[in-house]
Amino acid sequence: MNKEFKVLAKPYMVWLSILVFVPILAMVLISISNLDSSVSVGELVISLNHFKLLLESSTLIAFRNSLIFATATTFLSFVFGYFIAYEIKLSKFKNKFILLTIIILPMWSNLILRTESLANIMSENNILKSILGFNLFGNISGTWMAVLFGLVFTYMPFMILSVYTALEKIDFALEEAALDLGLPPIKKFWKVVFPLSLKGVVTGSIMVFLPTLAGFAIPKILSRGQIVFIGTIIENKFVYTNYNHGALLAVVILFFILGSILLLTKFDKEGETLL
Amino acid sequence: MANKKPLIELKNISKSYDDELVVNDVNLTIYENEFLTLLGPSGCGKTTILRMIAGFIKPEQGEVIINGKIFNDLPPYARPIHTVFQKYALFPHLNVIDNVAFGLNNRSWEYLENFFGKEKIEKEAKELGDISKKNILRKAIKNLIYKDSEQALKLVKLEGFKKRKVDQLSGGQQQRVALARALVNKPQILLLDEPLAALDLKLRQNMQYELKEMQRNLGITFLFVTHDQEEAMTMSDRIVVMKEGVIQQLGSPKSIYNEPLNRYVANFIGETNILKGTYVKKDVVNFLGVDFKCMGYNFNDNEEVDVVIRPEDFDVVDIEKAKLVGEVVFSLFKGVHNEYEVLVKNEKLLVHTYESYEVGQPIGLTIDPYEIHMMKVEKSE
Repeated sequence: MNKEFKVLAKPYMVWLSILVFVPILAMVLISISNLDSSVSVGELVISLNHFKLLLESSTLIAFRNSLIFATATTFLSFVFGYFIAYEIKLSKFKNKFILLTIIILPMWSNLILRTESLANIMSENNILKSILGFNLFGNISGTWMAVLFGLVFTYMPFMILSVYTALEKIDFALEEAALDLGLPPIKKFWKVVFPLSLKGVVTGSIMVFLPTLAGFAIPKILSRGQIVFIGTIIENKFVYTNYNHGALLAVVILFFILGSILLLTKFDKEGETLL
Repeated sequence: MANKKPLIELKNISKSYDDELVVNDVNLTIYENEFLTLLGPSGCGKTTILRMIAGFIKPEQGEVIINGKIFNDLPPYARPIHTVFQKYALFPHLNVIDNVAFGLNNRSWEYLENFFGKEKIEKEAKELGDISKKNILRKAIKNLIYKDSEQALKLVKLEGFKKRKVDQLSGGQQQRVALARALVNKPQILLLDEPLAALDLKLRQNMQYELKEMQRNLGITFLFVTHDQEEAMTMSDRIVVMKEGVIQQLGSPKSIYNEPLNRYVANFIGETNILKGTYVKKDVVNFLGVDFKCMGYNFNDNEEVDVVIRPEDFDVVDIEKAKLVGEVVFSLFKGVHNEYEVLVKNEKLLVHTYESYEVGQPIGLTIDPYEIHMMKVEKSE
């Protein structure tokens, strides 16, 4: 039995090494080389000259934007997402799965398409305005509000799902025990439910924070190019064939990701709140 | 028992789930300092009664009265009652001592001032510094809470486990922590919901004695729920036998064992023989075709009765002296005694005795008058 599973796992292992490990290794190597479109293969050397890019103000601003928006998105997703997850958990609704499906539903449509339509209803003339007679979002397309709204709208489901999973795992007897020991419901929530759901909050936060930090499509579309994220810069570098620049910035992002995974394993050893 | 103060009174309480009546018009008075057990198979409503007293569910009808006050609408956190849950329900994010201190740690200032008494707090605070400062008093209370918690851990013999995480404890130890966590609050009433069900036999027996001793020493009323009749027998002052939401019999372990009121109780409490008989006249009962002397029962002459004889109440005698003669059809060595099935006039009797017989051997039995118990015949069965 075990042996068969091992054989079945082989294609994936090959896939994993060719399409994940090799590219990552290549990216790290490129990030410390002089590779760009003007360099031919014969001239390839190890070079750290382009590291000054990290201190350029455009890079720093992009990093700052990414960090601020990622943090804000995570925070907002946590506040609203926790509330929604808790409400779902408390709901007497027989089939909670349907509620969760409704939350996941938007994620099944294409991200770019979804963001484009969001940008559309945030601009001055849109279909909602002709239906409702007024502009639901005002004319916020291109502003930081539009970007933040788009990010929260897109990534909050991750938070909701992981917090919900953590909440559902809390034994109801623990809540009864807290009441029994004299804690009124609000105190019960802060002393028992919330601490026990922290795992889900951490998992959810990382699942919101990382794609927001590294993403470029949503800010690019919703800010109409006004707000530059680090992801936008990386994309541009590759588009303009500055491979080593792009790789270097991508490696920096990679460190953020690895750090987050370390944090995650510390909080959630069994990975039980991961989807 | 009559001169004892009633602590909990249940008056005509009923509760149903999905139109099924799980507690049906139950009346029960629980006194101070007693160990009362609700005994019955799963689904008989015993846990529901416990949860109504704890405040987790509201009775649909009737009143839950504690200390003379109606408690129906009071939430669980406002009741002087603590529960030891079946699966312990220890908080996994806290260590052992914080689990025990959890209740007191989250009480209000006024509650704690009342709980420990001003004098005790000030005495503790004097050792820490200026007693007029609020933070010194707060610290003193913290100290007292943890002193009490350690005391409670000592009571359940877990002194060395303060800093352990609860998931590093065995089932028995978790059980003890749960007990300490409830006892540290000095409840008037401790509710125990099948707390020993998950423990192995040896540990369970030990805990039974310890619980009984604790109850006696602390002077707290224990309300215990179990489906294990032996457990109920060992620990209780009084036992309530329940079936389908109705109390079948209430009494001391001895009286329930010896004088069951109906077939259900007789069968539920230990192994027994129930035989059809006729109450011939005063102090004479006929069953298995033989007249027996009996005592202490009043029925009409020639009334049908159910006769209850415990397996250990048969006396094994020589065939000539025997009132009943039968044949051993099955034998089992149980260590202390032998268990036999004896066929007498097409009726199988369960007999416990120290004497040893082989399968197929004839055996003579008599029964002392005071060992013969009788019940009214139930029409429905």
